[in-house]
Amino acid sequence: MDVPTCTIDDFGPIPLLAVGSAAELGDIVRQAATQGEAVYPLGGRTFLHLGRPPTRSGRAVDLRRLNQIIDYPARDMTVTVQAGMSVAALQQLLASERQRLPVDVPCAAQATLGGALAVNASGPRRLGFGTFRDYVIGITVVNDQGHEAKAGGRVVKNVAGYDLCKLHIGALGTLGIITQVTFKVRPLPEQQALVLVGCGTATLPTLLDQLHASRSRPIAVDVLNAPAARLVLGSEPSLPWLVVVGFEDHAEVVRWQVDRLGQELACCPEYHPEVIDGPAGTAVWKGLVDFVARPEPVMTFKANLLPHAVAAFCRETNDLLEQPLIQAHAGSGIVIGHVVGDLTLERAGPMLTMLRTAATGAGGNLIVVRCPPSWKASLPVWGAPRGDGWLMRQVKKALDPHHVFNPGRFLDGI
Amino acid sequence: MAPNALSDRLRDIVGPDAILTTPSDLLVYECDGYTIEKNKPDVVVFPTTTEQIVRIVEVCNDLKVPFLPRGAGTSLAGGCLPVGGGVVLALTRMKRILEVSTRDRYAVVEPGVVNLWLTRHLQPLGYHFAPDPSSQGACTIGGNVATNSGGPHTLKYGVTVNHVLGLELVLPDGRVVQTGGPAEDNPGYDLTGVIVGSEGTLGIVTKVWVRLTRNPDAYRTLLAVFETVDDATNTISDLIGAGIVPAALEMLDRLILQAVEEAFHFGFPLDAGAVLIMEVDGLEAGLDADAQRIAAMARKNRAREVRQARSEAERLLLWKCRKQAFGAVGRLAPSYCTQDGVVPRTQLPHMLRQIQRIGEKYRLRIANVFHAGDGNIHPILLFDERDPEQVQRVLQASHDILDECLRCGGSVTGEHGIGVEKINFMPRLFSPEDLATMARLRSAFNPDNRCSPAKMLPTAGACIEPTKAGRRAAL
Ligand SMILES: Cc1cc2nc3c(=O)[nH]c(=O)nc-3n(C[C@H](O)[C@H](O)[C@H](O)COP(=O)(O)OP(=O)(O)OC[C@H]3O[C@@H](n4cnc5c(N)ncnc54)[C@H](O)[C@@H]3O)c2cc1C
Repeated sequence: MDVPTCTIDDFGPIPLLAVGSAAELGDIVRQAATQGEAVYPLGGRTFLHLGRPPTRSGRAVDLRRLNQIIDYPARDMTVTVQAGMSVAALQQLLASERQRLPVDVPCAAQATLGGALAVNASGPRRLGFGTFRDYVIGITVVNDQGHEAKAGGRVVKNVAGYDLCKLHIGALGTLGIITQVTFKVRPLPEQQALVLVGCGTATLPTLLDQLHASRSRPIAVDVLNAPAARLVLGSEPSLPWLVVVGFEDHAEVVRWQVDRLGQELACCPEYHPEVIDGPAGTAVWKGLVDFVARPEPVMTFKANLLPHAVAAFCRETNDLLEQPLIQAHAGSGIVIGHVVGDLTLERAGPMLTMLRTAATGAGGNLIVVRCPPSWKASLPVWGAPRGDGWLMRQVKKALDPHHVFNPGRFLDGI
Repeated sequence: MAPNALSDRLRDIVGPDAILTTPSDLLVYECDGYTIEKNKPDVVVFPTTTEQIVRIVEVCNDLKVPFLPRGAGTSLAGGCLPVGGGVVLALTRMKRILEVSTRDRYAVVEPGVVNLWLTRHLQPLGYHFAPDPSSQGACTIGGNVATNSGGPHTLKYGVTVNHVLGLELVLPDGRVVQTGGPAEDNPGYDLTGVIVGSEGTLGIVTKVWVRLTRNPDAYRTLLAVFETVDDATNTISDLIGAGIVPAALEMLDRLILQAVEEAFHFGFPLDAGAVLIMEVDGLEAGLDADAQRIAAMARKNRAREVRQARSEAERLLLWKCRKQAFGAVGRLAPSYCTQDGVVPRTQLPHMLRQIQRIGEKYRLRIANVFHAGDGNIHPILLFDERDPEQVQRVLQASHDILDECLRCGGSVTGEHGIGVEKINFMPRLFSPEDLATMARLRSAFNPDNRCSPAKMLPTAGACIEPTKAGRRAAL
């Protein structure tokens, strides 16, 4: 008998079941729960490397057949879909009405909405448009007892009951399996433009401060070091840092901002801002959005910092012997680093300790997004422990007391 | 428990100037802006520090008395009703703005800071706190967090939860925890996101990290005048349908216009069926084009006039009329009662017709002033609370209105909360499974249900059928 299986972080083989309905999923969860087994939800498997390896035997469920449109009242600017739908399919649907969900999800063609929500995917546009927590207005999950439970609703403003949507976003599927989501959506912008500015290491902090104070209102400010810029642009940058400033709005407003930024940057002879739009711009956007999911790295980390500290943190990371590929969403304080080439666990440990100390010193933390699974036992995958960890464990205990969902994969004790 | 044990112990913690115990002093605290149900607390305390709150909570647990946080008491759903008496922690003396960082775009405030103070404080720096409830001159940030408040400009900018980065919370067992913080994307569950809007049932918020929003460079504020409510609501539906989301989009109907005009003398046309206040903001470039598109949409729906505020003073007066419309309602009737339903925005024309029909059915005058762009209606039912028969009709009409919201696929509350007022609607909105999950969440924070008992979630025996309507407003 050939039961399909999968592995997660080298753990397995885990029997893999494709589900076609929430009821079917409920049965599987109930059965697993009574047998003391775990359930591992799977979407497009684009981010399955996030988190620690599973700790208990169980079954994996492939949710991609839960891909129906439930309701798309475009004129209300909301959409309700099943969570196994791919992000790209949703965007395509929305584009037919000149709308979109302005949250950047890498590998959108494979990634499912449920998976993207579980890892709280985001990208450069988060500066201007926020993250999933700003768009999810209703959610349905299959809970630890196999029942569907929902929160929120289908209207854009609603304060009835606890907002459990927020809890499931970024919970890595540890509180229930997301089966259906309602989003509020936005109109597609009339125009996009990117302004590319190269700079030296000494100037980077000043440039970022300048962008922060600019009269223009960028919806993205991404920083790339030279090796990362080479990958995203496909050409050799002339300076150690490249800052990519994104605008999206009505044509007239984009034009004004590009001009305005040009004037502001004219103060420094080092800058030679270059404007990119059209198809070339689209390719750069895609490079920026997909950057976090690049295939090359041995190890990928993500730091979250206060925005003022981004330049210093980038420099510190760039000065490492391995010179990781660096992308920062500077306005949001997010820095992603990919270490490519030779790296050993012996070296990775101290490197992460140093970077994590810098990150916590800058008001944030640092997590390991990807590394060889065998390293995970000895690395602080989820960063420095936080003071609210015990309360998170209490929430987990209330909503999934028997650790049915993704045991071992998230923070300690969750 | 000896009758004075509670107050004596609390007095030791907060001092004699920060405690109320006499029945006349407690009267103010027997309800909030929802006055249909009242109950006096046993004691009101005014703590000034997190440490004091911890000790107060410990005493309450020790003596097994319920306790309840309270901000300015402007809530309209009975969130501050001391069900079962006990201790009210009035947080109005915790009113310091602790830190402001424009570079990192956040501020840290104590819960008793009044919404408008923060925005005034930030004004010279070119920033503001985006949620702007009509009550912003009085309500506190703690109250905004607890109810996840909205306001006219939350159409574009988002409600309170979109602007809260972190919280300090005293849990019902006295432990103190910080969730989130000034940096985004902290690893772990978004506890902040679920505490916002929890109406005081998960603990007492003692510190708030709020996100700061840059002030717009410029505004265009339009007043569109319509012969009928239908034309106005069709305009709203058309605007959203066309993907035009202004910064604010508010509707006032004839009845409310008459009251507002009498109070503020703005120059509203008294024969109009309804007006829309439509504002776009942001960079100067493009604003005129936006304003023109919006005006054209209004004209297409037979607006008889579209005016633009000519000066900042006129713009501010227009907003004053809108935000203080409630104060003017007293000119229309001795008592009034407001509902807070939400419908999909395309359903607004239908919903407003239903409100009119319900008004006729119950022989009640109903004024409308509301956050139209969000589909968040606020019908104001006018009556005289001295007449019990009218009160009954008001309650029935309110019920019918919320019922219709549900039938349209909406919600019974967009921003005021469930509190005690709408607790009986929860089983209509949510399945037993949904509610059980919410109760499980609450048990993680508030297992003994001693903090804000009998709020938000229907629990056996806690449902109270309202029989009297009192005077209240919400706009
Ligand atoms: C005229 C008028 C206009 C209004 N307009 C709007 C509007 O436009 N939009 C809108 O959203 N609301 C509006 N409201 C409702 C109300 O003002 C808001 O809900 C406001 O946020 C309540 O703040 P508050 O300080 O008065 O809180 P309170 O009324 O004191 O408390 C409200 C709830 O929050 C809890 N709470 C208070 N402080 C804390 C804390 N520190 N920690 C935990 N829980 C706490 C209380 O227990 C209670 O459940 C209006 C009310 C009035 C009277």
